[in-house]
Amino acid sequence: MGTIYFDNAASSWPKPPEVPAAMAECLANAGGNPGRAGHRLSIAAARVVEQTRELLADLFNAGDPSRIVFTHNATHALNLALYGLLRPGDQVVTTSVEHNSVMRPLRHLETRGVEITVVACAPDGTLAVHEVRRALRPGTRLLVTTHASNVLGTVMPIGELAAAAHAAGALCLVDASQTAGALPIDLEQTGVDLLAFTGHKALLGPTGTGGLVIRAGLEVPPLMRGGTGSDSDREQQPEFHPDVHESGTLNVAGIAGLAAGVRFLRDVGIDAVAAHERALVADFRERAADIAGMTLYGPEDAARRCGVLSFNLAGASSSEVAQLLDDSFGIMARAGLHCAPSAHRTAGTFPNGTVRFAFGWFNTADEVRTAAAALGELASWAARKIAWTV
Amino acid sequence: MDGLITFFASHYALRAETVLTRGGLSAKLIAGPRDLSPNCGVALRFEYARREHALALLDAQRVRIDGVHRFVPRTDGWRNTEAAEWRR
Repeated sequence: MGTIYFDNAASSWPKPPEVPAAMAECLANAGGNPGRAGHRLSIAAARVVEQTRELLADLFNAGDPSRIVFTHNATHALNLALYGLLRPGDQVVTTSVEHNSVMRPLRHLETRGVEITVVACAPDGTLAVHEVRRALRPGTRLLVTTHASNVLGTVMPIGELAAAAHAAGALCLVDASQTAGALPIDLEQTGVDLLAFTGHKALLGPTGTGGLVIRAGLEVPPLMRGGTGSDSDREQQPEFHPDVHESGTLNVAGIAGLAAGVRFLRDVGIDAVAAHERALVADFRERAADIAGMTLYGPEDAARRCGVLSFNLAGASSSEVAQLLDDSFGIMARAGLHCAPSAHRTAGTFPNGTVRFAFGWFNTADEVRTAAAALGELASWAARKIAWTV
Repeated sequence: MDGLITFFASHYALRAETVLTRGGLSAKLIAGPRDLSPNCGVALRFEYARREHALALLDAQRVRIDGVHRFVPRTDGWRNTEAAEWRR
């Protein structure tokens, strides 16, 4: 039995071999603390960090690389943005398919007097921009939206949403956890003000990496304060980028791995990754349509999807299906609520959840065929189980 | 190289090295002299004679600098030739 990994929405696997190689090389030869000294190993570490910043600025067409700040992950980046921007009395607009990395900080901020307006998406995750316009009002501080649902795979029209936010005088924060590295993102073209990304999913880097891109001219108060290697004669936090948001030693080896992942994607082309994942989703959905008792969630239109999809089999729980896929077929999927209870309420799959497949660049059409055949068998088993119990 | 640029943060020093090198100028990162800058990291040596060209390149790429200094041998060592400037 082989290993088929369809859990790339949780963390991508495998990584290109260049990623662990770059991390080992960094630990061996760039072992200093970046920005803290002038010796060769410190400069080598700083070079790793700054080259990665430039790669990411190019990838997102973000302009000035200093506007990219490194964080531990997307959750950290989202917390930085939300706690930095929102004050008691502010209104924030969001969608009903957000991950808890957005929802939990917002619900906590709600207890501190921030007003939250959640715009309901259709059961397939589609967000109507006119509903968002209706929720925005003069004085709204922020619109925060996922770029693509981690449950349904639905891609949001972030350019239109940013324009709607700006028309109301609000800022636009996008959670690109599922899309950075999987779909093209152009910050200049879309006008998005803040973009939170993780390094260990479609960007193919290691866990413990991520960041927030903050549009030039927009100053966000820091989430943490501490040593930066700069302004060392002062006991106050520096106010300039990127140091204002980068207190404490960065995950340099992780960032080296992230750079290798981004370089790999630059060579492959993000458009090619997007087309590949879309083709796998379309192929899977076509095969799944022939399986009796299978319910597919998310939009039918492949153009409005990323490589994430959800389904259920009649007669079996999502966790049962995922366990059997792993035990009997070597297929790794994620079952349950995917840290996104609101998205499952939207899809009508709360509290039981769904089985999620999330394809990545290294998945193949053969693997999709194998998985569809496996699900055909599991569907027959589940149908017999239903027959026995009635 | 008798010129030295100091920075608020090492991020800018590293970017400056790239920008000047790509622009065909000599540049070398060194430990930032403590008497010139409270930044624990690095400063950038360059040829002071190419000062205007270097600063134009950095300005075009929005690299913020702290100050520009010149090494004057056998007199008073490093000398700050320009007030610290805040560049966006």
